[in-house]
Amino acid sequence: MKLKIEVIDTLTPGIRKFTLAPVDGSPLPRAGAGSHVVLEIPGPGRVWKNAYSITSAAEAPAYEIMVRRVEKSRGGSAWLHDHAKAGDVLEVQPPQNLFAPQRLAKRYLLLSAGIGITPFLSYLKLPGLVYELHHCCKPEDEAAFLALLPSGPQVTLHTSRNTLNLEELLKRQKLDTHLSVCGPESFMDVVLATASHAGWPAAKVHKESFGGATGGEPFVARLRRSGVTVTVGREESLLDAMEAAGLAPPCLCRGGACGECKLHVLDGVPAHHDHYLSEAERAANNEIMICVSRAKTPELVLDF
Amino acid sequence: MSKSRPVYAPFGLDPAGRAHLVVTSLDAPPEGIEDSLANIEAWTVKHNGPGVPAPAVAGVRPFRSTTELLAQLSHRLTRETAGLRLYAVGSEAFIWDAYNAAIAAGLHPSEISLHRAGPLVRRVYCSHCRTIIEDVPANIVACSSCEAALFVRDHFSRRLAAFMGVKVDAEVPGEIPEAEVFTS
Repeated sequence: MKLKIEVIDTLTPGIRKFTLAPVDGSPLPRAGAGSHVVLEIPGPGRVWKNAYSITSAAEAPAYEIMVRRVEKSRGGSAWLHDHAKAGDVLEVQPPQNLFAPQRLAKRYLLLSAGIGITPFLSYLKLPGLVYELHHCCKPEDEAAFLALLPSGPQVTLHTSRNTLNLEELLKRQKLDTHLSVCGPESFMDVVLATASHAGWPAAKVHKESFGGATGGEPFVARLRRSGVTVTVGREESLLDAMEAAGLAPPCLCRGGACGECKLHVLDGVPAHHDHYLSEAERAANNEIMICVSRAKTPELVLDF
Repeated sequence: MSKSRPVYAPFGLDPAGRAHLVVTSLDAPPEGIEDSLANIEAWTVKHNGPGVPAPAVAGVRPFRSTTELLAQLSHRLTRETAGLRLYAVGSEAFIWDAYNAAIAAGLHPSEISLHRAGPLVRRVYCSHCRTIIEDVPANIVACSSCEAALFVRDHFSRRLAAFMGVKVDAEVPGEIPEAEVFTS
């Protein structure tokens, strides 16, 4: 669908908020708390497809997203920061939700860092949500984040590592609480490890896993059924390279979380960077999530 | 065996838990837990004469009835913090009552483990008048309310923690087969 950038707000030097409205005023598909949209962003020689959490309420007439300028941006966030202007029209794929609130949770502990606050901004718009939110950010961004969040004892901002005692926080949560975490991979790893140590069962710990697409050594992928061979460059994903070659492999989140883009590996060894495959599936090395994973061997042969 | 019959693992502590609460409908906790180094507490059902509570000993708290125990369990779970694991040991009716209390308190099934122990008696639900009949030892029982002769099917309701009882002589009134004692 085509959406128009209606408003751009600069929240911090590194974070801009975009309000995306339908071009013709028609109603938008409902985007429940935790949803994201994939924006198709024009770039030199190619189109970037980046996923962003929707921060507005499900019933809002326009989608709001927040975009952090990524250092060494693959292209998407740099364009949105440097070139996008109000009135631009973008192709946007309808919202998907891989981070929906848990139906049975009575209470939430929400932990975020940096731009990882975005899915929780839509959570906080749910009526009657019982929660405790702890958000970690740089001191210079504190005022901007405070302005986005409700004021009250249930919200705490941390601008230094020392003020967030994760272990104590996780150990004192009531038994009917679910934990949701979103932020950089290193932040989520620490939270998950601490939660596990404190006895939290995996079923009550939920994480939003985006941004796993990192570059790496170039490699070649042979797509057996299509008869196409693509070279995956240092700064692009296998999915990007296949799309650039005119193929349309299945995909949804583009962040290694949803499992939609799984392909069978016929030869070669994948380097797994996703959050979807189990340890056993990774070790078997016969499946790959093409949106984030790469190759340990110079060449992969895939069933596509 | 009917597909609706749950399958239970042998009792064992979940090493991922930070604290452990073992509740049982029997008069003693599972053997060996007093030797455990884990942070563990056991609740049993035991009384010393009519209406007289049994004294608590280290780590073991006796209740006079499963009803008293389950009421206290619901209260306790609302005050507990993350990391607790709940274990229910005893009759099928009791362990699923405990399970349902725990789910209502916000526990996830992975925080609860159930273990069948003690006499092979069943709680039976009369599917005609909705009466619950406790501690039924054999597969034919008269409903205590509507007096229907019930055949106890191998059909277990986790919600009611009871087996379904249906009229055994619906086709030929009065023709009631011999009861068989439960072996599972």
